[in-house]
Amino acid sequence: MFSVLFKLKWFFKDHWKRYTVAVGLLIIASAFEVLPPWLVGQSIDLITMGKMTPELLMQYLVYFVGIIIIGYILNFVWQYQLFGGSISIERILRTKLNRKFLNMTPTFYEKNRTGDLMARATNDLNAVATTAGFGIMTLVDSTMYMAALIIAMGTIISWKLTLVAILPIPILAFIMQYLGKIIHEKYMIAQDSFGDLNDRVLESIAGVRVIRAYVQERADEKKFADMSEEVYQKNMVVERIDALFGPITKVGTGISYVIALGYGAYLVSRGEMTVGNLITFNVYLGMAVWPMFAIGELINVMQRGNASLDRVQETLSYEQDVKDPTAPVQLKEATSIGFEEVGFQYPLSQVKNLQNIRVNLQKGQTLGIVGKTGSGKTTFMKQLLKEYPIGTGQLTIGDIAISEQTKDQVLEWIGYVPQDHVLFSRTIRQNILFGKEDATEEELEEAIRLAHFQQDLMNLPMGLQTLVGEKGVSLSGGQKQRVSIARALIKNPEILLLDDSLSAVDAKTEAKIIENIQNERSGKTTIITTHRLSGIQHADHIIVLDEGLMVEEGTHEELLEQNGWYKEQFDRQQLEGVSS
Amino acid sequence: MSTGKRLYHYALFYKQPIILGLIFLTIAVMADLTGPFIAKRIIDEHITAGSIDIKPITMLLLLFFGLTIVTAIFRYFMFIYLQIGANRVVQKLRNDVFQHIQTLPIQYFDNLPAGKVVARVTNDTEAIRNLYVQVLSQFATSIISIIGVYVALFILNVKMAAMALFVIPIVYVWMIGYRKYASKYNHVVRTKIADLNAMLNESIQGISIIQAFKREKQMEREFEEMNEEHYRYQKKLLILDSATSFNLVTVLRIIMFMLFIWYFGNQSMEPNTIISAGMLYAFVDYTTRLFNPITGIVNQFSQLERSLVAGSRVFKLLDEQGEKVKDQRIDRYEGNVEFQNVSFAYKENDYVLKNLNFVANKGETVALVGHTGSGKSSIMNLLFRFYDPSKGKILIDGTDITTVPRQTIRDHMGIVLQDPYLFSGTIESNVSLSDPSISREKVEAALEAVGGERVLKNLEKGLDEPVIEKGSTLSSGQRQLVSFARALAFDPAILILDEATSNIDTETEEIIQHAMDVLKKGRTTFIIAHRLSTIKNADRILVLDRGEIVESGTHDELLLLQGRYEQMYKLQAGVSQHA
Repeated sequence: MFSVLFKLKWFFKDHWKRYTVAVGLLIIASAFEVLPPWLVGQSIDLITMGKMTPELLMQYLVYFVGIIIIGYILNFVWQYQLFGGSISIERILRTKLNRKFLNMTPTFYEKNRTGDLMARATNDLNAVATTAGFGIMTLVDSTMYMAALIIAMGTIISWKLTLVAILPIPILAFIMQYLGKIIHEKYMIAQDSFGDLNDRVLESIAGVRVIRAYVQERADEKKFADMSEEVYQKNMVVERIDALFGPITKVGTGISYVIALGYGAYLVSRGEMTVGNLITFNVYLGMAVWPMFAIGELINVMQRGNASLDRVQETLSYEQDVKDPTAPVQLKEATSIGFEEVGFQYPLSQVKNLQNIRVNLQKGQTLGIVGKTGSGKTTFMKQLLKEYPIGTGQLTIGDIAISEQTKDQVLEWIGYVPQDHVLFSRTIRQNILFGKEDATEEELEEAIRLAHFQQDLMNLPMGLQTLVGEKGVSLSGGQKQRVSIARALIKNPEILLLDDSLSAVDAKTEAKIIENIQNERSGKTTIITTHRLSGIQHADHIIVLDEGLMVEEGTHEELLEQNGWYKEQFDRQQLEGVSS
Repeated sequence: MSTGKRLYHYALFYKQPIILGLIFLTIAVMADLTGPFIAKRIIDEHITAGSIDIKPITMLLLLFFGLTIVTAIFRYFMFIYLQIGANRVVQKLRNDVFQHIQTLPIQYFDNLPAGKVVARVTNDTEAIRNLYVQVLSQFATSIISIIGVYVALFILNVKMAAMALFVIPIVYVWMIGYRKYASKYNHVVRTKIADLNAMLNESIQGISIIQAFKREKQMEREFEEMNEEHYRYQKKLLILDSATSFNLVTVLRIIMFMLFIWYFGNQSMEPNTIISAGMLYAFVDYTTRLFNPITGIVNQFSQLERSLVAGSRVFKLLDEQGEKVKDQRIDRYEGNVEFQNVSFAYKENDYVLKNLNFVANKGETVALVGHTGSGKSSIMNLLFRFYDPSKGKILIDGTDITTVPRQTIRDHMGIVLQDPYLFSGTIESNVSLSDPSISREKVEAALEAVGGERVLKNLEKGLDEPVIEKGSTLSSGQRQLVSFARALAFDPAILILDEATSNIDTETEEIIQHAMDVLKKGRTTFIIAHRLSTIKNADRILVLDRGEIVESGTHDELLLLQGRYEQMYKLQAGVSQHA
């Protein structure tokens, strides 16, 4: 159970001063807490026995002032230090996780769902932070503070009374622990039905046009009402158990007080203790409830913290899938790109995704790749991004195997426009500058012009400063694609990868962009995958992929003569797309 | 009306359980607070050194325990009733928000990401639930307890109790001050953590781009700035909390003890005064009880803040102008559609449709052709009354459609969207939309008619094959067919087809082509066309450009016209020649 504390040794070591101060003062403060009730009891005895004098009274008041000042300082310092540790570890782990995420390759993201990773960065992180702060506090409270109270009750007042009166409290704590478990289960059920409700609403909103077109508003309302009733019922199940906590505690502590009063009265009558003692004792009894409950809390926090820390550690210790070579070859220029019998299989894939790929591309040439969905077009592109461990065969840039070059060096030459247009929640300007941070205004304008985006820019509320994504305006697919193209073009890369990047723009715009790229990128290499053949007719070389194999290759004219898939596709597309 | 007031008004819908809960609470507090009085009596009247009255003490202790049980029972029911009230209030609020959403113009959804709208209905109302179940019940419990304690203190000793009132202004000032700063810090902490998580999420989604452009360092730097800021405000909050909350309560409690020792100490020194030990016991007991409710209130502040913010968002949505869902229905109309001088702008004076005039008679097929942004989709939006024309009229069988409720007019229309939307459920429920008027046989017939059988046959459970969110386990062709079958099952007088642009293999395309032919029979059909092959046999083709009909006629007529339609045709051919 406490293994989590050992696993966090590195953190406690780094922050040993903080924790020494925090825990030390917390223990002192715990001992300190028993003083005020004792002083109150003492003074009550003096008052009831008529022995109070002005001097004594003054003395007691001075004690209290002292306790207030010292106690306040103690409590402030330990709280600040201890919970400061909690905040620190949260921040440190968050930094580490972020760094890890940023350096992981796609294989990692295929093995871990985004939701899972996010849960680690949020819930698990909180659980670990709670362990390092609240967890330590409950540890001290349930041991040292409890000990201080019991010793005070026993020595100052009466051991007999202490043992008898305190008995119901651990039983109570045990019942609570048990109820806590049940409530957690029921709570999860309630959360699930809340989650279902959430999904339901999402569907209603996403499918709003269908619902309205088919006049299903009433039916939809009815379904929602049924589900919200279910959420209500599930919540009430939780609340019915939750409702027991207060009353059971009341009864349990009530028994303690009855024992304390009854047995205490007996002891007072026998002269074994004073009325003041009885009062002090009752106050202590009230104070002892928390540390008893703290044991249960401690178990929960430690267990949760342990499981969470394991998950966080698992993520942090994931080994890089693609490692840079130990003795990388440095290359000044990316002259040619060569695929020699290249084969590749995704780490989690059952079948070979690329086989026997042979392509030779000289600097300045354009390669077109076509084929059905799932034929391996994107996989081909990804080979150049070094996102996965190298497959079979030989892939070279500038006649040097890509495996002998660092990922940094390879990426330096590449401008990548992915299939799904990923933009970040920032301004359009910032999104384009993502390609080249220190680009000049001229370069920015040029990139926008090449991507044929000026016209759209004028229609946007704030032009280049328009915020996109969740917090800003939502761009159309075609607009996103063109921002994404501008982002790659601003880099003016040696190798441009366009992965079906013009699917959402109309034929006219596509033709313009292709023309721009052809004109402005003479002497530079471009690889284009597409569904629309018009986008690659100008390419120096075109390959047709099917299930990871090259089935046809040649120039546009050559391919038409071959009378294969390419020709068939071309004829079909001649009839289409007039309007789109 | 302020958010707080409106939340109060909502609470009044379920005032019965809430008031009952508050009554139980008051009884529980009263029963609970009699405890120290009993103890006082035991101490003062039945204990003296050397002798003990066993019998009365036992009776009093039994009474003490009995009252504890009473407290426990009433507390239990208090909790349950307050929870019933609170949860019902929120359920009502939730249903109201959802119903209101149905009345909002489609525009609202076009301008706001779906996630945000969903958050209003679920997460924000959940935050309001916390307000009722936690914050308000804690406030009620605390306030009634504090009042009870003071009443008890006044019964015991008026002077001392009056002095004990000093706590009230201090606590009041403290709460105001604390709330002011804490809410500021809390706000920053909350927004920062939301930003941090959003950024993490976005980084994960866009990791390939970040890495391809080697922006890891930049992303890390930006993330660290936020993380640091979050940390700083958490620390500020921590300092505030360490200096006040629990710590300050301890100080106040000891000051209360001092006050009381000073007062009774001085009294005891006056001649001929005997101070009862029982009363002192009771005073100490009540004093310790006074402070728990206070911490209880303070602990709820941050939730209060969050709930009020959520509340204001929910009410803002409820204030959005909506149009009630009408249940009025009419008989199936013929489906003669006429656009008369229709102009339309989403934004003021930025017309996307300009002075359109055309007629589509019963049973005809009209195709709309044009570039992206030419106004094709806007025509569909107007016909369905997702939006209404800015100028001009749309008539169906001679009736201006704006004079009939939206639901009434849509009842005899069908739609097939470009990206067909499927709901989670089964194939059957997606065809019938669980509408009681559409039987299983009808669903089967519809699917068969559109040729769905061929595509659906390899689904293990056929009609009952489960469909998950957005139908993502089905191919786009399958989704399209389900949505065709849906349209057919509802047998509309007017049908709008927004043709799919996504790449569909040849075989599926043939099936879909066939399905479209089946579907068009006997109804007025509008096709937003992306493929020439489907347009060819339309009764009329409207060529749109920047919101205007520039040409209209059949395929052959348009080719003969040698205008834009023919040009577009040539352009396509030209590209291939050029290559």
